[in-house]
Amino acid sequence: MKTRTNYTTYQSPQFSILSEDQKERIYNGMLRTLQYTGANVHHEGARELFKKAGCKVDGVRVYFPSEVITNALATVPPVTEIFPWDGTTEKKITVEKNRSYFGPGPTPPNFIDTETLERRKYLRKDASLVARVCDALPNMGYVQSLGSISDVTNGLADVYEFADMVRNTTTPIMSWSFDKEGCRDIHRMGIAMAGSEEEFRQRPNYIFYGEPISPLVSDYHAIDKCMYCAENRIPQVYSPCAIGGGTVPATHAGQLVVALSESMVGVIASQLISPGTCVIIGGVQSILDMQYSIYSYGAPELSLLSAAHTEVVHHCGLPMYSQSGCTDTKKMDMQSAMEASLSINAAMMSGANFVHDNGYTESGLTGDVFQTVLDDELISMARVIERGVEVNEETMAVEQINNVGPGGHYLYEDHTMNWFREHWRPTLMNRSSYEDWVQQGEKTLKDRVIEKTRDLRDNYEGPRAKVPARADEEIEKILKEAEERIKKEQPAGKK
Amino acid sequence: MSYDLGKITETLIQGKVDRLTELTQEAIDSNAEPAKILNEGLLPGMDNVGEKWKNGEMFMPEVLRCAKAMSKSMDILRPRLTEGELGSAGTLVIGTVAGDLHDIGKDLVGMMFEGAGYKVINIGIDQPNENFVNAAIEHKPDVLGMSALLTTTMPRMGEVVNSLKEAGIRDQITVMVGGAPVTEEYAQEIGADLYGANASTAVDVTREYFAKAKN
Repeated sequence: MKTRTNYTTYQSPQFSILSEDQKERIYNGMLRTLQYTGANVHHEGARELFKKAGCKVDGVRVYFPSEVITNALATVPPVTEIFPWDGTTEKKITVEKNRSYFGPGPTPPNFIDTETLERRKYLRKDASLVARVCDALPNMGYVQSLGSISDVTNGLADVYEFADMVRNTTTPIMSWSFDKEGCRDIHRMGIAMAGSEEEFRQRPNYIFYGEPISPLVSDYHAIDKCMYCAENRIPQVYSPCAIGGGTVPATHAGQLVVALSESMVGVIASQLISPGTCVIIGGVQSILDMQYSIYSYGAPELSLLSAAHTEVVHHCGLPMYSQSGCTDTKKMDMQSAMEASLSINAAMMSGANFVHDNGYTESGLTGDVFQTVLDDELISMARVIERGVEVNEETMAVEQINNVGPGGHYLYEDHTMNWFREHWRPTLMNRSSYEDWVQQGEKTLKDRVIEKTRDLRDNYEGPRAKVPARADEEIEKILKEAEERIKKEQPAGKK
Repeated sequence: MSYDLGKITETLIQGKVDRLTELTQEAIDSNAEPAKILNEGLLPGMDNVGEKWKNGEMFMPEVLRCAKAMSKSMDILRPRLTEGELGSAGTLVIGTVAGDLHDIGKDLVGMMFEGAGYKVINIGIDQPNENFVNAAIEHKPDVLGMSALLTTTMPRMGEVVNSLKEAGIRDQITVMVGGAPVTEEYAQEIGADLYGANASTAVDVTREYFAKAKN
């Protein structure tokens, strides 16, 4: 008899920090906060929208009754798909509970130069480099730029970044912008890559990232962009950077309540405008280091808070934007590898949907594509744990154990031949003998990371040549028009 | 028409044990010279396998299957080859020293030597020193291999080297040692001739050693 009765299997590890009761309690804490404290919304149109839905508005403050919140949560989609622009499906993203996609992060001012290894300002050329390298990395499920371009017209870093990145990777991009105008330019490019607006709605090819200000403030541009994305059915993130002990309570539960509350404003706005549009929340959850006054990206609390927040966000039926693979270190070293390993594994176990900041160093101030390359390997290691242990007759191999018997070996067994390839293979971690290691130049992990990154930089072409000429022209046109727009917005002399 | 030895090379690389045995027999039946079958059919195949292993294109279970195929084929060829034709493919006696029950390391080395065309006599685990000496006298191997996985059993290897000296056969035999805790320095310290960091380099260093000795 092959069937079994009352038999439980786990397809993956069962990792959890909060009980159902604890999640419920934090959820209720959010309901209480939004009802009695409310949030500031610096956007008249948005306040109008909330008022119409039944919220109390007092100046910029909006108080959200719980039914407005539960109504919004009732219309968020359980699943959304995001497609690579080239029509392939391998890199398709399914935004659904328990599926994790890792990627870099947006907008640090600095970047580690891949040639000199020195920290410098982020340049336009870096955006296409990061896109191309991530396109080649199998564990980067979506892409962000790791920087904010410093050498283009002031106010257009967002638009140039997307224009360059989208043409250098088919992996879906998570974009950002200064304001709705930038958001619109980026969306026009997304449409150009999709073919038409209708095709974009059918097969969205990027995600937009927007950020309220912690604690409990949605500034004009944040909510303005959020509303634009909802109108245009652009899958979007609306999540804060909550700083434990700074912008939110020092207690983790308090942090979760505030972080959830500030994101919820975007969820409500998006669902009121376009019920069923994809909205993802979460954001950076870590602590303020009270000695060095930095927002710690390597703190173990980041892993704990992000995993707990993932559970609360999933409890609300929303997809989670988490983080990992980041560090407080200034330059690639043991600290960066250790901090990244811990957060990557915790994020993987938590089942967060989008996990960003893989490649953030110096507490989020410097983008480092070397770190992204290292993180790619760490993510693939964490995937091994995610896969769990398959238990059945074939995998238990009781017959083979009997065939080999005590003192024998399994190297000649067909069973071994059939299964050994399931073992994880490193690309950066070294397992050679001491002698081989010496012979090959005594390279450290850092040397190998640099080598692999530079190899991708110099030899991996990416999809640039595959970009349809029509889309290419359209993107150049949008860039020109954006330059004209900025000229009009910024009077002469003001930069 | 001469026999297509490329087929033999290809089948060996694929690790098809039974098929390679058939082909070896077929080659002999169609009057291919045994030395040619070895030198132009089998050895290039194993060289290719070794290369692929080094480059991460092939893995241990596959390599061992190829080695097994090679070994079965050699069983057919060996009686048909002269001493000279056997070339570097000599005889290896291998075992794990007294007090040590570890099997796999030495077996792996044995399999890799079979893959290189050697006749391998595996005397087993936990072998008292005199058994190594007796096996050396009985089989007159080109190489005597000793394995130890425990730091506590490693000294047995040096004792065997001394026993070989006492028996007056030390200079007739090449001594190879290996095992996870063994190092090149240790091998030299106890007066062994060869040390391989792993199964495939054990074959490589042995080949190099004999090639040098010839010149």
